[in-house]
Amino acid sequence: MLLDKLISFFTSLKLTVVCLALAVVLVFIGTLAQVDMGLYKAQNAFFRSFIVFWGPQGADWKIPVFPGGYLIGGVLLINLVAAHYKRFGFRRDKLGIIITHLGLILLLLGQLATDLLSRESNLHLRIGEARNYSESDRLTELAVIDTTDGDTEKVVAIPDSTLAEQREIRNAALPFTIRVKQYLANSSLSDQAQPGFEKCPATAGAGPRLWMKEEPRVTKMDARDVPSALLELEANGQSLGSWLVSEYLREPQSVTFAHHTYTLALRLRRYYKPFSLQLLDFRHDIYKGTEIPKNFSSRVRVRNAATGEDREALIYMNNPLRYGGLTFYQASFDPDDKGSILQVVHNPSWLTPYLACLLVGAGLTIQFLAHLIPFVKRRLTP
Amino acid sequence: MNPLHPTARSWSWPRSATLVALAVVLTSCGRDETKVYRVEKESPAAATVPAAQAAGGGAQGQTEGRPRLTWKLPAGWVEMAPGEMRLASFRIQGPGAKQADVSVIPLPGPAGGDLNNVNRWRGQVGLPAVTQDEFARLGEKVDIGGAEGALYNQAGQNPAAGEKSRILAALLHRDEVTWFFKMTGDDALVAQQKPAFVEFLKSLQFTAAEAPPALPPSHPPIGGAMEPAAGGGPAKPNWTVPAGWKEEPPTQMLIAKFSAAGDGAKAEITVSAFPGDVGGLLANVNRWRQQVGLDAISEADLPKAVNETEVPGGKATVVDLDGTDARTGKKTRLVGVIVPQAAQTWFYKMMGDEAVVAREKDALVKFVQGAK
Repeated sequence: MLLDKLISFFTSLKLTVVCLALAVVLVFIGTLAQVDMGLYKAQNAFFRSFIVFWGPQGADWKIPVFPGGYLIGGVLLINLVAAHYKRFGFRRDKLGIIITHLGLILLLLGQLATDLLSRESNLHLRIGEARNYSESDRLTELAVIDTTDGDTEKVVAIPDSTLAEQREIRNAALPFTIRVKQYLANSSLSDQAQPGFEKCPATAGAGPRLWMKEEPRVTKMDARDVPSALLELEANGQSLGSWLVSEYLREPQSVTFAHHTYTLALRLRRYYKPFSLQLLDFRHDIYKGTEIPKNFSSRVRVRNAATGEDREALIYMNNPLRYGGLTFYQASFDPDDKGSILQVVHNPSWLTPYLACLLVGAGLTIQFLAHLIPFVKRRLTP
Repeated sequence: MNPLHPTARSWSWPRSATLVALAVVLTSCGRDETKVYRVEKESPAAATVPAAQAAGGGAQGQTEGRPRLTWKLPAGWVEMAPGEMRLASFRIQGPGAKQADVSVIPLPGPAGGDLNNVNRWRGQVGLPAVTQDEFARLGEKVDIGGAEGALYNQAGQNPAAGEKSRILAALLHRDEVTWFFKMTGDDALVAQQKPAFVEFLKSLQFTAAEAPPALPPSHPPIGGAMEPAAGGGPAKPNWTVPAGWKEEPPTQMLIAKFSAAGDGAKAEITVSAFPGDVGGLLANVNRWRQQVGLDAISEADLPKAVNETEVPGGKATVVDLDGTDARTGKKTRLVGVIVPQAAQTWFYKMMGDEAVVAREKDALVKFVQGAK
């Protein structure tokens, strides 16, 4: 029967060996590919994918050539769980093996959860400044902000991936449709005509004075793409004008429609928190008489209106601040030493690798003792 | 995995369904979705430049050749990262959550005229606009880095937030640049900080414009949400300077600057060039009209308001305006020539005492025609 065949395929030990071998090869080629593709693109192409595709340079077709990280990991996980169900019923003498395998399953699931759920962002603060949001270090968003109200603003944040894919964006919170006329994943802008630049066809905002150019995607580790997009706003079948939005443009561009004023901004993706962090002081200590850094530290003030909490914390190398499910690490600083950059890590499954290792260790110990004790007993029996 | 002891357990559908569901849940997490949320308004000073690691070139120009400024930081002021428009930025934290924001912004030319700017600030705190006569009595003399500027103090209620707020703004015209020093925020806090602000203005020192710096590779190049600047712009053409004109050191927005004097009066001649059509002929004619206190004209009136003259390689537009200097309130005359050339537009402007401008008008036109 087909189902039986399927079950014997997924529970076979051969599959385990093949998957592990494929994983070794994948890690090898995926690591080599980072030289040309850069870390993030290679990670996405090899490890965060089900199939690895390949095509000759410049061609617009690609063929699947290798299973991706998700596929290998997923099959391995199914294999492990299925084999367990099929082969190992609960027996006391197999307790160690069961716990070890549970640990392995937890490790695989935990890594998948980390990959899917964890988020790293940056919090850049100048001395004295307070912020209640961190920013992605490479993902961007189009923020359409209704600034009409006095104290608060209503933000509709559209991720760059949506801008890149969709021609037309509608949202219940917006009275107009956003038509993406052009999306440049990496771009340059100029305020004068230059070779390779085309005049921006925007009709409103800063765009009409600018020239734009599509740039090749960045592969370097220490650089990133700076996107720009040409958007047309439309309401009741009528165009309200077209705007150039870009991360290069820092001055807000506004559009007024139906007695509301909206600001358009393409910016780094923001992650708001229910508390704020204020940088009270940043220290960049060096060893006396040298330029060698000794210590970087940020003294911050954590304020949470909901809990009434207001306290200070010192963040320095290897001593992050853990607060509100987030971990704040000292990551970088401004060249003038008047600002600090904290890395903000949100990883709900950060405990799973620890737990998985404990389980594997405990399982192996139990299994070892389960053999050792009867062996010693036999030896001691005269 | 231990292949021994196969117990041949039966495979049930609920088990596989659980696995599939788990896989679906996990893979559907973390997808990009549009989010809608409400946040408290950010004060302008909080909008600092992120230390993004950006790639690509282009879009230089705004920070190039910017004037430099040094100051003595008053107690309690926090220096913030400068922005695209802001040459310097400070924040003052008052008692409670009260805040004030200080900005220093240089803009080329008269930047809309002092009266309009003051009326704009008055509007921001819910005060009625003032007329030219009232405006002349409004300013308070203030020492800005050794030069005399005017300080305007507007207090009222922010029409949007309904809070008592105050804008303390000092204006200084230095060469072809209008400098805005502005403190905005809570009424009581700004009023209390006024002596510190005045001290700050006094402590300012203007130094020569910075040499165009190469942006560090880690810095995202900046874009043009500002007036186009002439940084890295065209070189000075070959021209014959009319007799009686005195060449003066140009500022960073200008290609050349001259002055012509007579009978204790003076006119200033400036030459600048910007890429593109700089907003078009009408916008530029109206910009000049505004500088001499004249109302803007419409496209239909444009042909009557300007004259054309031949220049090498095409036609130029000559504008001749009589009015009042928006800065000084004195009667003035402005003769301007706009020359579109290749991808650039050149602006030759003579402004000052009526008699001197009348005498030098022909010389100006000849000067423009002779420029190569």
